[in-house]
Amino acid sequence: MHSHRLILNALILFSTLALAGCSDRHEPEQRASDKIVELTYWPAPNPQEVQLADTLVREWNLLHPGIHVSMQPIPVSQSTEEVLLAAIAGKTTPDICSNIQPAALYEYSRAGGIIPFDTFPDFDSVARGRTPLDLLEPFRSPDGHYYQIPWKTNPVMMFYNVRMFEEVGIWRAPRTYSEFFAAAKKLTRDLNGDGQIDIWAGERDIRPIWWQRLFDFFPFYVGASTGKTLFKGGVPDFNDDAAVEVFRFFQECYQKNYFPHTYFQGGDPFLLEKKATHFAGPWEIATLRSLAPQVRFDVALLPVPDNHKGPVYTYGDYKNISIFGTSKHPREAWEFVKFLLQPRNDLMLLKITDQIPVRGDLLKNPLFAEYFKRNPKMVRFAEQALYTRSIDSGPDLKEILDAISQEYEACAVYGRITPSDAVTDAMKRTTMIVEWNK
Amino acid sequence: MKTFLKYLVLGVGAIIFAYPFLWMIASSLKPESQIGGLGLYSPDFTLHNYTQVFTRIPIGRAFVNSLFVSFTTTFSVLVFGSMVGYALARLQFAGKSVIYAVVIFTMTLPFQLTLIPQYILMVKLGITDTYMALIAPTLMTAFSIVLFRQFFLQIPQALIDAARIDGCSDTRILFQLVWPLSRPVLITVSILTFMTSWNEVLWPLIVVRDRALMTLPQLVTLFTIGGEAESLLGLELAAATLLALPVILAYAFFQRYFIESMASTGIKG
Amino acid sequence: MKLFPTSERPRHSKNRTGYWFVLPYVIFFGTFVAYPLMFSFILLFHRWNIVTPMEWVGLKNFERLLRDPLFFKSIWNTIVFLFIHIPLQIVVALGFAVLLNSRLKFRGFFRAVYFMPVVVSGVVVTILWQQLYAYDSGLLNRLLVMMGIDRVPWLINPDVAMPSVALMATWKNVGIYIILFLVGLQNVPNELYESASLDGATAIRQFFRITLPMLNPTIVVVVVLSTIGGFSLFIEPYVLTGGGPMQSTLSAVLYIYNQAFYFGHMGYAATLGFVFALIILCVVLLQRKVIESESTS
Repeated sequence: MHSHRLILNALILFSTLALAGCSDRHEPEQRASDKIVELTYWPAPNPQEVQLADTLVREWNLLHPGIHVSMQPIPVSQSTEEVLLAAIAGKTTPDICSNIQPAALYEYSRAGGIIPFDTFPDFDSVARGRTPLDLLEPFRSPDGHYYQIPWKTNPVMMFYNVRMFEEVGIWRAPRTYSEFFAAAKKLTRDLNGDGQIDIWAGERDIRPIWWQRLFDFFPFYVGASTGKTLFKGGVPDFNDDAAVEVFRFFQECYQKNYFPHTYFQGGDPFLLEKKATHFAGPWEIATLRSLAPQVRFDVALLPVPDNHKGPVYTYGDYKNISIFGTSKHPREAWEFVKFLLQPRNDLMLLKITDQIPVRGDLLKNPLFAEYFKRNPKMVRFAEQALYTRSIDSGPDLKEILDAISQEYEACAVYGRITPSDAVTDAMKRTTMIVEWNK
Repeated sequence: MKTFLKYLVLGVGAIIFAYPFLWMIASSLKPESQIGGLGLYSPDFTLHNYTQVFTRIPIGRAFVNSLFVSFTTTFSVLVFGSMVGYALARLQFAGKSVIYAVVIFTMTLPFQLTLIPQYILMVKLGITDTYMALIAPTLMTAFSIVLFRQFFLQIPQALIDAARIDGCSDTRILFQLVWPLSRPVLITVSILTFMTSWNEVLWPLIVVRDRALMTLPQLVTLFTIGGEAESLLGLELAAATLLALPVILAYAFFQRYFIESMASTGIKG
Repeated sequence: MKLFPTSERPRHSKNRTGYWFVLPYVIFFGTFVAYPLMFSFILLFHRWNIVTPMEWVGLKNFERLLRDPLFFKSIWNTIVFLFIHIPLQIVVALGFAVLLNSRLKFRGFFRAVYFMPVVVSGVVVTILWQQLYAYDSGLLNRLLVMMGIDRVPWLINPDVAMPSVALMATWKNVGIYIILFLVGLQNVPNELYESASLDGATAIRQFFRITLPMLNPTIVVVVVLSTIGGFSLFIEPYVLTGGGPMQSTLSAVLYIYNQAFYFGHMGYAATLGFVFALIILCVVLLQRKVIESESTS
């Protein structure tokens, strides 16, 4: 690392000298330092991503003396959306942000001020060179422009406790709803005969919290519908069999008592080995490694309806990159974005944050081979990443997911309404919210 | 037999209203594992829950914040409320009836109507997350003006006239002559204002996000539902006890005034 | 009678002092009541998240309100609350007031104890009752189990949760109404009872014929204050249930709060506030009319 930096320094010294030599002859020296372009870059505030951003920005600044990037993590105190919306209103947005939630993009572009990437002539080749069209296309806005470029994703998959499965004689993760129920029936057990269940097949927070649906209803819906999301062309579009199937699945999980009806107190039941399955993203690997190293786990695709055909899609928690309209140097900002997307920097992203870059060649490019050899469980996520969908971009996604949460509570947890009523009601309220926002 | 039954019912009533508080205080002193019990006593009484509360949240600071906010509000309501009440009761000026109508109008306004625009006003004034935001909307209350006015109407005109002839200004008459005669209404307004301010949660939750400025009930609420208490009953009960204790102590000493003051809201309403 | 200067000068100064004395209130009213009130009328026709500029939406907020199941749900929840809270409160308060009104030792003590929950913060009461209501380990269910009765799902069953909130609210507030009824009872002239006794009316008859009608104004107060209280419920569901299960304890103010500060819909929240305020005013006026006309008929 040290020698590497030394060479870089030497290179920079040399190039500046050379440049200085040039400018001496043609124009006054003052102009050269005037021409240093200043860019601001906002990464996510979590320690790993700040570390990654710090490393990348340092390297960039060494390589590009004419374009200076300063890194400023988004304040932790508020949510990223709040901070960015306030910044857009106050015209204090950075040039580049790499923590754009696709769901919030609608609000950002409505507030004014995101530059479409497709205005840069080499956008197509850069974006398609990295990301397959199937994953790129969902991020094209209804007006045909790309205001965001997918950077990384965290696919939601099923973690399962291998020991518990083996104890009841199951040697393969369930792939369909029926297989899941068959396993759940064996897994849910009262170990000491006190009438209280000690091991649950699964568990979800029973409170209707909107973002919880990103770990049950939504990924299951994406799976059951082979890659559909909640909207189509800005219109709610989930009034279909897949949605009903998903509600029915969760209703049965509660009805048959495979999932507990009460709020689980005392910590994460998967870490405590009180539930056999858990729906989560790759970050769970690190959590398990540090907090519960004794848990023997593996990762599998989410269960799908019995008659399912084709690949199993799931929800991917995407974080994308955008350039803001306030940027005085969009061209230079684009250069920096391209730098972030380079294969070796994607490798750095993998290594430092354990999150999946949205690349088509992750498992083919020898550059990444060593990482996946050392982190075999991450291979599952890298494979799955090619079949992920983000949550839609639209107005009031939070409230729409809240509406779905209420139906989830009424239908699945309490079994008070039928799955098809749940879907109809959720559609109704979603339509009301969308029309109010028109 | 009849008297026995009467005392039995009254006694059961007393247990129903008082026992939960005793249980709360007792349980806050017990180790977590013993809190489920119905009884009060435990051989293992400990201050552990309290030390935990003090280390986890700035509850001392919140106590001071609440005291400051409640005292300032009460002082302001007393001074300005009595001034308006005095003007409406004893002074002649054009537009008096309009002002009185405005006061009555304000009193009948449901707070649901002004909650959101009042918050937006705080945002526009740029005073969210300040003491000002906590205090400003309750600097004066219509109810206190009405109480003052009603009380001041009963003060004999002769007294006021005498003071005027002596050359007293109305300011002096109000604060040096009328105030000393108005102990009951001053006490009523003080207790009502202080209690309302001390117990208010919704408004602080809306205008204050900075923990250093939170009031006691607000901090305790967020501590309980925000996960910082980690669903440990002992901690929640200890925090609740700390919030209740000052009021219960004050109530123990000035019980009669409390009852009369707070019942007056009903009699007037 | 009075000398010229003294009669003229005070009146002059009186005029001015009046203005000086009400001036702070006028400023206060203008800033913290009139301005928000006017601004609320602007908000009714806008969509606004505070951060980005306001958007004019015409009557859309009202259209939405009429189609919003949660708006109607919160009204229904308030009705459920009041339906249990008001009768319970009147019966309990009246009962204790009648007992306290008889010749009694320790009257002051009982009165003080019953009144205690009134002065303590709603936050304390709610945290306390959350423990009492807990399904597995709560005090109330332990008592029931000891008496051989099944556990009650106080807060976790959507049909029971709001009645539980109403029960808790009664426990907290009934002290005030005991005092009010007590005051009312003491104002009933003794001659009325005496003449009734002479006519041979039983105690029960006397209660319904004399006491109740005389207490009518107090009952109006209980009903009106409880109604306003029902529409103002916030901290109870906020701490106890978060509005659940299945939105069964979502109150009017909690819904306004959620719309404004959880979803960032200031305009819609103001619209909800406006409509709830109208409803409160109408209901209260109606209640007064009904109860007062009943007493005269």
